[in-house]
Amino acid sequence: MKNLEKFFNQTEDLAQTPDFIFFMRTSILPITLIMEENKFYLTKEGLEKVEKERQRLIEFKKLKTRGEAPSIWHSEDVNPEYLAFQEDMSLLDARIAEHTHILKNAELIKPPRKEERRAIQLGATVKLKIEGEIDEFTIVGTMEANPSLKKISNDSPIGKALLGAKVGDTVVAKASLANHHCQILNIRYDL
Amino acid sequence: MASAIRRFPIDKESLEAGDKRAFDKLVQAVELLPALYLKQKNPKYPGANLYPPDASREEIESAGKKNPALLDPYTIVERSRAGDLVAVPYREKFTKELTEIAKLLKEAAAFTSDKTLKAYLVSRAKDLLGNNLDESNALWLQTANAKIGFVIGPFDRFLDRHFHKKRAYSAWLGILNEEQTSHMRNFAKAMLTSERRYLPGAKLAKAAEVRVRVEETALMAGLDADFEFVSNNLPSSADTKLIKKSGTMSTVFLPVVRWKFSSYIKPVYESVFAETLEAGYSDQEIELGLLRMSVLDELRRSLARYDDAVSRLSEVFAYMDEVYGDISTIKSAAYLYLKGVLQERELEAILVAEVCQALAYVGTSAKKSEYASLAKGYIALLDFLLNGGALQKTAKGFSFDMKRALIAVDHLEGVFDNYVALGTREETKAFFEGLDTGEVLEKFAPAFQSFPQEKKD
Repeated sequence: MKNLEKFFNQTEDLAQTPDFIFFMRTSILPITLIMEENKFYLTKEGLEKVEKERQRLIEFKKLKTRGEAPSIWHSEDVNPEYLAFQEDMSLLDARIAEHTHILKNAELIKPPRKEERRAIQLGATVKLKIEGEIDEFTIVGTMEANPSLKKISNDSPIGKALLGAKVGDTVVAKASLANHHCQILNIRYDL
Repeated sequence: MASAIRRFPIDKESLEAGDKRAFDKLVQAVELLPALYLKQKNPKYPGANLYPPDASREEIESAGKKNPALLDPYTIVERSRAGDLVAVPYREKFTKELTEIAKLLKEAAAFTSDKTLKAYLVSRAKDLLGNNLDESNALWLQTANAKIGFVIGPFDRFLDRHFHKKRAYSAWLGILNEEQTSHMRNFAKAMLTSERRYLPGAKLAKAAEVRVRVEETALMAGLDADFEFVSNNLPSSADTKLIKKSGTMSTVFLPVVRWKFSSYIKPVYESVFAETLEAGYSDQEIELGLLRMSVLDELRRSLARYDDAVSRLSEVFAYMDEVYGDISTIKSAAYLYLKGVLQERELEAILVAEVCQALAYVGTSAKKSEYASLAKGYIALLDFLLNGGALQKTAKGFSFDMKRALIAVDHLEGVFDNYVALGTREETKAFFEGLDTGEVLEKFAPAFQSFPQEKKD
């Protein structure tokens, strides 16, 4: 798995997009759950990243199978290298299938029409007052959510509470342990 | 378990040759620290060995008006032959130890190739024998990405139960854990996106930058070892000028997190909550909760520094500072949960870790009088949790209503925020005196039996 780890940790241009790498490496959605999801809300940038990563995985697999496949004439019992190779291939196949599934079921987050921009929708950057603090973040699909980069998921308690709200509204972000009142201060669309 | 020095296994293989040699020199420096700290420490007296045992707070305060050096953070107060109070600078009182330590720091600086660490060590060597640590503190803040993490000097003020002014010596040495640091920095960023609002009139000391690093600690000595801190945030809360100019840095000591979890948190959890909490949290969950809590705690305290808090509140600042960080942390953690950064169970684990830590400090304070100030703050937290219905005694331990706990914590945070930002020493003291300490100690007494036995220094 060492080669694969190195591959996933490479600092290419994709690694310049820490939000995406953050999600794909530390996803709270395991591969099985991703495959069960019906819709993936992605920005244009996010969609391009998924496609780029898919291509990268396919190219890497081609490279692995063209030149580096270990000998298979030994039985599995005595060829741990072959087993490791098989493991790597299975993981790569799973990742490629995952990305393909996402692309097939992706829905592009587009900025709404001018007359619809008064309300918060996916893609909105919202400034709000919450429990004595001022915060600002963009609401994105779960795949692109990275709160450290001010992108929160539409599926989070706050994301759910904010959708549909307008400037001046106070909404309640509810979860089983806590409720927070959020007053909407500003909405804009930067997509 | 009292100890002025703690050692943890360390793997130095990731260090380059020069840094390994620097590291060995710094180990020697840390090993000289306990003798110095133990000269300051004396749990019998509220002034420790920092003031004459027969000097009252009032006498010192009155004499300090004519001679401000008596209340300087870096002086020992003694009686002259005539019976007057005189101030002796640390650099004079501890010349021998400080000179030896400074020599080792310079030798370490010569070996390391890390420019930031080199500059800091050279400057710290000079400052240890000077009037203050301002220059080297600023340089230390530039070592955020250095492989070697090293601090030595007088910082925290918990030994001074008269005024919370005089600083006790501490030291630590470790190696940066890059993976955990990266992870926690990301986690910290998610918390730092929001802008705190402050009470009108509060003299906020806004940190220029807030940094965090997670280390595999090899050695810890002095006050930090004695008080078993899992993390530390510098510069000191009293150094607001430097905080405003250069920011802060929090260091999390991973081995101490692990040790504290196994020595205190886990026994308390098993004694108080294991049979009552249906969710049943694993060791890993609670230990991670403790780690996250430590990171958030240090960051939250960085964001709540006020120019006048330490001087305005004097010794009662020590009652609140630590626990104020903890309860602000819980409030932050609740917000991170609503933003989807933390899952519900992860938030709960942080709450469990916090309450167990509170019980650990309160329980240990009965044997360690130097914990008295810290324990007051944690007693306030437990008092609010009990009276808010978040913790209720049952036949099998204590039930824990997490939702009520968040409400109680929110309430206490508002109270502390007011006192730290604007309150007077008198009204803050009155608040603590009004708490039912006896009820808290009596209710949780069985939990305190499970702690490690005291070891003599």
